[in-house]
Amino acid sequence: MPQSLLARACAGELGAFEQIYRRFERPVYTLALRILGEPEAARDALHDAMLKVFQRINTFRGESPFWGWLRQIALNEALMRLRQHDRAETSDELDAFVDEAPGPSVHADATTLERALARLPAQTRSVLWLYHVEGYSHPEIAALVGKTVSFSKSQVARGTQRLREIIEPTAGPVSCLIAIAN
Amino acid sequence: MSDRNRELNLVDALRALPLQAPERSAWPELAAKLRDTKIGEVQKHERVRRFVVPAALAAALAGVFILTYRVTPAPPATATIAPPAASSSMNSVNVDSARLAVLQQRSQDLERWLRATGEAAMPLQGQDLVAATEIENLIGLVDVELAAPQEMRDAGLWQRRVALLEDLSVLRYSNYQLAAGGGHVLAAGLTN
Repeated sequence: MPQSLLARACAGELGAFEQIYRRFERPVYTLALRILGEPEAARDALHDAMLKVFQRINTFRGESPFWGWLRQIALNEALMRLRQHDRAETSDELDAFVDEAPGPSVHADATTLERALARLPAQTRSVLWLYHVEGYSHPEIAALVGKTVSFSKSQVARGTQRLREIIEPTAGPVSCLIAIAN
Repeated sequence: MSDRNRELNLVDALRALPLQAPERSAWPELAAKLRDTKIGEVQKHERVRRFVVPAALAAALAGVFILTYRVTPAPPATATIAPPAASSSMNSVNVDSARLAVLQQRSQDLERWLRATGEAAMPLQGQDLVAATEIENLIGLVDVELAAPQEMRDAGLWQRRVALLEDLSVLRYSNYQLAAGGGHVLAAGLTN
């Protein structure tokens, strides 16, 4: 993140905000989408997170990477929405998961993995994503989602297992995913 | 293929997933909001910080007071960090590191308490949820700053983190008390 761009944003220049938005739109949206699982909710989270970022940009001291700072705001925004959603729909249990879709091994590509992720319960998918992709530790995830470390561990284990079952119902290779996803 | 290797492959595949973009860019709305209501939004944000958070904290404190006064004597809902007594012979480096250790321990205690009571507390709603989210956001931002190289951190950040956790604990405490019918003994996190 160029210092000059940051300085312009701190001065309130709309053009600088737009450049920052364009630069981070996809990472923030992707993170929100992984947490929330719904495109429209993820877009709302993107909007609100970016608004907070622009409102608080003067508090960024530049001692840590800008993306880390922005990601924290985006993550909190998405998790807050997830908590609100969880209260509205309490049947989001992994054990209640019913797999009615055809076996995805025929099209084991990035799209299949996306769809498999989308079929996990939101809480499980969030924890799985935070652990495997964002690199958070179990204690950090526990603090973020307001649950125990054991909860985080069990969600990762069960979610990973469930994801594997969806993708390769007959224990086929996952390696094909990598080749196509790359 | 072993389970471990399969898991690694799955993780690699997850990490290799392409970034997604929203069907409609959020920028036009964001730009309009920034352009037209920038001052209003900033003022709203300030209102949340200046009024909603304190109001929620005050309400929580009042709830704590009523519950504890009526039902059971409870420890104080907040605690102040007493800096370690420094003898004249102690140099400033030792004082700083001792103070830092106290703050870090306090931070851990509060986090443990928040985790422990998270399950038992009633879900936060309305103003409390807004305030808690705001505080959690601020804690997250402090954590980002604390992730900076060692030489750039200072005890002030830890002091701020502890203060925010204490605010969050007050909010949680009232819900915890309500969920527990007011008779719970408060965990050690708030008794220091």
